[in-house]
Amino acid sequence: MTQLGELQDALPKFRAAGIKLYAVSYDAPEALAAFAEARGIEFSLLSDTDSAVIRSFGILNTLIQPEDIPFHGIPYPGTYLVDEAGVIREKFFPRHLANRASAETVVDSALGKILMGDDEPRASGGDDAVRITAFVHGGGGVLKSGPVRQLVVRFELREGLHIYGEPVPDGMVATSISVRGPDGLHVESPVVPATQPLVLSGLGVTLHVWSGTVDIVVPVWADSRLVCVTRPVDVPSATLEVTVRYQACDEATCMVPRTERLQVTVPVEPHDVPNIDLLAKNGQKVTSMDSMTHLDKLVRRFLPG
Amino acid sequence: MSQDEYTDEFGFVAPLKTTSNQRRIPDEGFPTGPAIGERLPDFTLVDQRGRSVDLHADRADAKAAVVFFRSAVW
Repeated sequence: MTQLGELQDALPKFRAAGIKLYAVSYDAPEALAAFAEARGIEFSLLSDTDSAVIRSFGILNTLIQPEDIPFHGIPYPGTYLVDEAGVIREKFFPRHLANRASAETVVDSALGKILMGDDEPRASGGDDAVRITAFVHGGGGVLKSGPVRQLVVRFELREGLHIYGEPVPDGMVATSISVRGPDGLHVESPVVPATQPLVLSGLGVTLHVWSGTVDIVVPVWADSRLVCVTRPVDVPSATLEVTVRYQACDEATCMVPRTERLQVTVPVEPHDVPNIDLLAKNGQKVTSMDSMTHLDKLVRRFLPG
Repeated sequence: MSQDEYTDEFGFVAPLKTTSNQRRIPDEGFPTGPAIGERLPDFTLVDQRGRSVDLHADRADAKAAVVFFRSAVW
C-alpha cells in the first residue's frame, strides 16, 4: 500500500521519463477499484485473480501453502523495467518481503542517472574544487517501514580533478563512504560507478579514477525499531551521519586526503496500513477503503462452494 | 535487538508470528522470474476500471515498469 501510494506520488517522474506504469496483484478488480478510489491511483492496477500470470512468471511465493488462506497466490514482490522493445532492462526484487525499491530508483534506472529531488533532505560539504552533496533519495527521503532509500554522496569535481576507486597504490587514498544512523536503520554496502583507468606510464601504474560528477549510492532502510506497523512512530526524524574520505588529484599534483562529516536528517513517518482490525488501531496511516469487506470476499474466493 | 516471536531476523515486527508461512523470508537466489535481457512475457489482465489490458499493446512502444505487489486489500 505504501509502495503503491509512493508510485502514484512519483507518477509525474515516470511520465517525464516516458515510462508507463502497471501494478499486478491477485486482488479482484472491485478491490483494486476501491483502493484506486481511496488512494487516488491513476495508473493501471491489473487483476490476476487466479495468480495465473504470477505463476507463469515463476514468482509465486511458494513458501505460502495453499491452505494459508487468503495469502496463497501472492508473488515475491518485485518490479521489472522494460525498454521500448519490451525487453527487461532491470529488475528489483529485494529479498525481504517488507523491502521495496523506491519509485525513484526505478525511474533512475531507465534514465541512467540519479535525479535529485527538490524535496530530498541533503547536506553539503567540500569546496570549489570538490563539491560534495549527501542526500537521501526516493520517497522524499522519508523513512517508513521497509522502502529502500538511497543515501547518495555526489562529488562534483572541478575540470581536471579526479578521485580514486579501489584499489589504490600504497600511500594514496581511495574514496570511501560510511553511514551511521539510529538503531533500526539498515545500511547496505555502497554501490560505486565504474572507474576509468588512468595510466601513469612513467611509473607503470594504472589508477582507477572518477571525474566529473560521481554518485556513490548507499541503500538504507528502516526496520520496526524506527517504524513499526503495530505502534505509533516514537521519533519523527532520524539523523544519518555520513563520513566521506577521499583524495583529489590532477595530472600534476595531489591534494592531501580529506575526511568530511555530513549530517542528513530525514523524516520518519507512519506506514500505510490496510483498514483491517489487526492493523488499523496502531497509530499508522490507515487507508480509507473498506478493507474488511474485500478481505472477506478474498477469503471466500478460496473456500469450497 | 530484543527478539521475540513477532520480530524477524531483519528487525521487522508484524502481528503474525515469524513462524507463519506468510512471514517466511526466501533464501538468497529465490525465483525472480524472467531474466534481464529477455522479453517480458505477454499477458492480458483486467484493470481497476474493468478494462482488458494487453500489456505490450497498451504500452505501445513505450518503456514500462511492471510492479508485482502482494495485495491492496491487506
